[in-house]
Amino acid sequence: MYWRSLNQLAETPEVRALIEQEFPNYNPSELATTSRRKLLKIMGASMALAGLGLTGGCRRWPKEKLAPHTTSQGNHTPGQVEHYATAMEVGGVAQPLLVASFDGRPIKIEGNPTHPMSWAVKDKFGAADAFAQASILSLYDPERSRSVIDRTRDAAGKSSDWAAFGEAAVAAFGRAKGAGANVAVLAEPMSGPSAVELRKRFQVAYPQAKWYEYEPVSRDNALAGSRLAFGKAYRSKLDLTKAKVVVSLDDDLLMFHPVHTRHAADWADLRRSGDKGEMSRVYVAETTFSVTGTVADERLPITPDKLFALAQAVAAAAGVANAGTAANLAPNETAWAQRAGADLKKAGKNGVMAAGPAATPVVHAIAHAVNQQIGAVGTTVQLLEDPAGDRPTHLEAITALAKAITSKQVEVLLILGGNPAYDAPMDLHFYDGGDKDPSILRSVPVTIHLSVYDDETSRACKWHLPMAHYLEAWGDARAWDGSANICQPLIEPLFGGKTAVEVLAIAASEKETTAEAIVRRTWQEQLIKGGDFEKQWRKTLEAGVLENSAFPAAAGATLTAATFAAPAPVSGPFVRFTPDSHAYDGRYANNGWLQETHDPITKLVWDNAAIISKKDADAWGVKQGDVIQLDAAGRSIQIAAFVQPGQPIGVITLPLGYGRTAAGNVGNRLGFNTYHFRQSVDGDVVSGVKVSKVGAHYTLATTMEHHILDEFAQKNALDQRVGGKGKTGYIVREATLAQYKADPRTPHATSHGGVSLQLFNNPSTFNTPNAWGMAVDLNTCTGCNACVVACQAENNIPVVGKDQVMYHREMQWLRIDRYFKGTAPAGGTAADDPNPQVVHQPMMCQQCETAPCEQVCPVAATVHDTEGLNTMVYNRCIGTRYCSNNCPYKVRRFNYFDWHAKDPRISRPAPYHGFPDAQQNDPAQIDPIRRLVYNPDVSVRMRGVMEKCTYCTQRLAQAKISRRNAAFAANGSEKGSEVVPDGEVMTACAQACATRAITFGNLNDKGGELVKLHKNPRAYEVLAELNTKPRTRYLAKLRNPAEGEKA
Amino acid sequence: MSTTTIEPLVLPRANGEIDNTTDDPRYRPPLVTSELSFGDVTRAVANVAERPTTTIWKVAFAIALGFLGMLGYTLYKLFFTGVGVWGNNQPASWAFDIINFVFWVGIGHAGTLISAILFLFRQNWRTGINRFAEAMTIFAVICAAMFPGVHVGRPWLAYWLFPLPNQMQMWPQFRSPLLWDVFAVSTYASVSLLFWYIGMIPDLATLRDRAKSRAAQIGYGIFALGWTGSCRHWHRYERAYLLLSALATPLVLSVHSVVSFDFATSQLPGWHTTIFPPYFVAGAVFGGFAMVLLLAIPARQFFGLKDIITLRHIENMCKVMLATGLIVGYGYSMEFFVAWYSGSHYERFTFWNRAFGPYSWAFGIMVFCNVLSPQILWSKKMRKNLWVVMAVSFFVTIGMWFERFVIIVTSLTRDFLPSSWWMYKPTDIDLMMLAGSFGLFFTLFFLFVRYLPVVAIAEVKSVMPQAHIHPDEHDERSGDEHRSDYGPDEHHRHGNGNGAH
Repeated sequence: MYWRSLNQLAETPEVRALIEQEFPNYNPSELATTSRRKLLKIMGASMALAGLGLTGGCRRWPKEKLAPHTTSQGNHTPGQVEHYATAMEVGGVAQPLLVASFDGRPIKIEGNPTHPMSWAVKDKFGAADAFAQASILSLYDPERSRSVIDRTRDAAGKSSDWAAFGEAAVAAFGRAKGAGANVAVLAEPMSGPSAVELRKRFQVAYPQAKWYEYEPVSRDNALAGSRLAFGKAYRSKLDLTKAKVVVSLDDDLLMFHPVHTRHAADWADLRRSGDKGEMSRVYVAETTFSVTGTVADERLPITPDKLFALAQAVAAAAGVANAGTAANLAPNETAWAQRAGADLKKAGKNGVMAAGPAATPVVHAIAHAVNQQIGAVGTTVQLLEDPAGDRPTHLEAITALAKAITSKQVEVLLILGGNPAYDAPMDLHFYDGGDKDPSILRSVPVTIHLSVYDDETSRACKWHLPMAHYLEAWGDARAWDGSANICQPLIEPLFGGKTAVEVLAIAASEKETTAEAIVRRTWQEQLIKGGDFEKQWRKTLEAGVLENSAFPAAAGATLTAATFAAPAPVSGPFVRFTPDSHAYDGRYANNGWLQETHDPITKLVWDNAAIISKKDADAWGVKQGDVIQLDAAGRSIQIAAFVQPGQPIGVITLPLGYGRTAAGNVGNRLGFNTYHFRQSVDGDVVSGVKVSKVGAHYTLATTMEHHILDEFAQKNALDQRVGGKGKTGYIVREATLAQYKADPRTPHATSHGGVSLQLFNNPSTFNTPNAWGMAVDLNTCTGCNACVVACQAENNIPVVGKDQVMYHREMQWLRIDRYFKGTAPAGGTAADDPNPQVVHQPMMCQQCETAPCEQVCPVAATVHDTEGLNTMVYNRCIGTRYCSNNCPYKVRRFNYFDWHAKDPRISRPAPYHGFPDAQQNDPAQIDPIRRLVYNPDVSVRMRGVMEKCTYCTQRLAQAKISRRNAAFAANGSEKGSEVVPDGEVMTACAQACATRAITFGNLNDKGGELVKLHKNPRAYEVLAELNTKPRTRYLAKLRNPAEGEKA
Repeated sequence: MSTTTIEPLVLPRANGEIDNTTDDPRYRPPLVTSELSFGDVTRAVANVAERPTTTIWKVAFAIALGFLGMLGYTLYKLFFTGVGVWGNNQPASWAFDIINFVFWVGIGHAGTLISAILFLFRQNWRTGINRFAEAMTIFAVICAAMFPGVHVGRPWLAYWLFPLPNQMQMWPQFRSPLLWDVFAVSTYASVSLLFWYIGMIPDLATLRDRAKSRAAQIGYGIFALGWTGSCRHWHRYERAYLLLSALATPLVLSVHSVVSFDFATSQLPGWHTTIFPPYFVAGAVFGGFAMVLLLAIPARQFFGLKDIITLRHIENMCKVMLATGLIVGYGYSMEFFVAWYSGSHYERFTFWNRAFGPYSWAFGIMVFCNVLSPQILWSKKMRKNLWVVMAVSFFVTIGMWFERFVIIVTSLTRDFLPSSWWMYKPTDIDLMMLAGSFGLFFTLFFLFVRYLPVVAIAEVKSVMPQAHIHPDEHDERSGDEHRSDYGPDEHHRHGNGNGAH
């Protein structure tokens, strides 16, 4: 066949026949008369397809529910995170916060960058501490109380409602109407103007009603000290940006201080400046190992009875004439005091002396005298008028209330927050020990307790009222400097809770009983005077804080004390109470994030313990975890011992906040209730304690061992890797300021020249268009854990429980490695050093460019992206765990169980068999309330999957998208928007870090902060000798010991 | 010119056994003793599979099944709750799972070494033991292959390790030694299985022909693949066997080398060592031979195979064990030397910690079992004492397990950053799973000894004196058996040559 054109071809009968067939080469008759071979072929194919279909049935796809997009609200883009300013009040001091809300659901807490008492970088990223970060989990705690509980008839209680309570309240307060002599209120400190106003109104309604204020952890000694020094209670506000010499007598300025975030940020300024050859020198004498102590240049462990003499010695050396003569100090203590005093004198107005809550008032008074003497007041110390300064101390208040109750003067007791049945001094009998030892609260005819949980106190009261979480309610509060904050709710109360202010309004039969109305009224009447209220109100709401609302500086504060009387002599051993880094005073007991965040120093989790020094432990024959009995006048307690290097000899530290019985499933049955050892005559110190061994053992869970106690490890590894005391090591590098000034290479004395041969060529560069990187400054890290909790909140990291921590399966992507460095005294080991040095080294994925983990993954589940991230593809991971073995930093975390589906506190012989694995698609497995806390930008990992830090890749993606969108909106093109400037986006840890020990940025931004830090002479790569080329660099630690003692 | 008359060899007897371990260079001692005829050999071996089930077999099999059930229980727990049922933790992401894997793969080495390498080297004594050494290999590899499959966090996705076409268009990551493992072990398993099966065909045919029950005839008949013993069959069979042994030989070396790459190519101190491939292979042969001895000595006793698996076989295996044990001991010392010589502080610490750290007890067990205990085998007297040989083999089996424990656990628990150091402790499930893997192994092994020819009948005949006669001095003793047995006929033997001459 030949043809001349396509048309002609198309006309040929052969082609026509083809066209007539719809499916050429298809012969339907084939099916009718199928050969055996053909049939088998077709059957085989069908079977294979059926098999494929079946495998689909075995897949574990999560259940999905679709929701159509209908209408959008004004000014709100669904899926776009919005931030609202609010504040969290603890102990009467507000911590200013900024809360991220995702579609009406608060999911992450940051610091308020515009607040004077907060810390911020570029007015954009604010820092919040670990407690504030973790409070989001408490908001979604399914065990929060969900209704009013009526126990008037039945001790077990029955669910009731606000209306029923209203009626009962009317009846109870009705009887008291008029004078209200039989009415008492026990409240937590409340600093908000509205709370103060409502208290006034309540007292107008019941003029003879008594008002008591109690907080188990307080700084009352500071107020008493100020009264002693000045005749008036002032609040001290420190400015550590100017404090070149800081002398702290037992004051944990950087961790357990109401304004520690600001302190830490300011302190860090004068540490970073070490690169310019100038650095602050921090002296800390302390009766327990504190975070501030770990970063002190000159630390002195000391017993509480010597604080007075030490203060005297410092004061004398600093030039205070009436300090008196110090007695009974050991030579090293005297030397420390003289160095500190001389340094203070030299620093003049750039010095500051502070005293802690456990120090007696007279020590505080001496500190005031020193500050006056050196001229620090006005520069490093501001004395502020404290409007509540003249109240009785918390111990006096609670004692007076107990007395009133036992003498039957109280018929109606309203308890606003707090948990006196758990945390009041034990000799006052608020504690409810069952029928044999009933709480005195049970003898009061009408008791009403407002609290977030149906806790120990609620169970001893007639009425329990659910309290609104601070993220659910309107309110106001004052920060440490007195500036007034509005607390705005981020979500409707989940369980119908009310605030203390609202309950007061109900009790006082106020007209306005909603918090919003009360707060608006107070602010309109008292704070925002003149001008357009609505406009100002809105501005304040947006900022979270009212400008110029701080307490005024004390005018003409003059020292009145002529001499300082020595406190009555006491003898050891001493017990020293401290707030706990997990539970604080017990209020955060049911918070799994906090429970599983390692203590900065002990690295204990899920427990408290009696912290004792190595020398005492040896003397008492006590080993880690042995139960010891402590006895002192009229009380005794049995508690597990924890041997802590650097703990002052003769001091037993008892962290508060454990041994809860009605905290919830997470917080119950944990640790030891150290309040049982606390009486109303004590402050934070008990003297003359008798210690004996019980013979029992208790297992304490830590996330890190005290390798200093392991002589083998110390001698063969730690001396080189971490370095001996005052020496630099391979992985932890440091120098003294003097050495560093002389030769900036000093910290790197241990490092070898780089050999960078590599087997595989990188598939691409890791710098386009951005080059993400990080710098961690060991010099400013205090180990405060804010980053750890921030990471947990940001990345949906599960909690595993104590049993699993003991298997070392904790999941935090970011941990803080803590190393002790000691010098072996004659005849001892490094562990016997009474005053070892500490290094905190935050450790997270280093995003190695030649990542050992990537080479060994058989399924390519961990791969590099072009911007330098060592990414983790969860869906691809099958869980061989080889990557973790090959990771020299051991920063990968494996889901050994389906952690999210499970209550971390279900206690079974570990590891628990029969533990249900629902693959997260069974709603009953994860409480719907708990699900609300998840960050929607981060996947919730299932069991069997490896996970790890990816520099908050979701935040990076968000930043890139925003930039692209903005560029598109502005220029109609995304061009030029690829490179995200340094500082425009931050990882959760970097943002939470008030000391900027963690800096995140873009190495492609050559003028950026990160590039400067990577070029800093202190910068080094941990384990650089492995040629992993990490993108995170560490900056060596600098210490600034006084001359003559280059430790 | 003088002539020397060689005295006929008279084998001594020891402990009621014929001692054919003579080293007198004038004689080539027989590999089958008691003057057995071809027919005797056939009967002796076939009888093991043909006689009624004995009580002792039933009891042993029931115990093995019990342990297998325990394995099933632990697997159920593992699949339905997660890898957390084991004691693995953060620094020690691998523990019993991979220890058991390497242990069983190691055991699986002796079989193919005996069948392939010794075949190529014309070591005729292999014929007595190769069959169940190979069976042991297959079963050990099954046990081994199970562990990597179930140790992953999401075992239902373990097939992603294979390069299968898929909708994600994802290949496995070829740089990962774990993937090499998959290829190495699966190749090894398939070649070993083929080798074992092909070698068994003539014997299966023997069993088929001797079978009395219809079921056995059909059963053996299917697997005998229509073997008739024709010259052509023999020819093809021998070619295939030779080719497979040539194929299997490099695998013996490769599989454990590749397994050792899991460790050697990582950068962990104590793993990152170039000596690993040879030292792992030697260790595997060492442990494999110990396991063969552990199985062979009771088996020859129970099944009356003392004339086929003779003292000489056992003595030879002891020698192999001693030699490989020395290589292993050299490996241990060389690791220490290199750790010191490298100047790497991390390496030095790892080895110092291995010997004197918290797991020094495990190191002690390893050194005692693998280095010290085989030294007794220098003495020929001890090599002939079956109790001693059993004890040493037992120690070596334990020692080789601990070798993997020491390598994996001590290296992982204390690596670079002291902050991450943590001890590893196995859980009950870990221990049950280890015991359960023995249950799987022995269940298979007992089934094997009950139903299959435990000795390579045809091959054994080829090394008997009767097979070596020349046509003109035909021995009548063997003639009557030719029709019912598949022994090699003389033409064939001439064609193939005989290493014994």
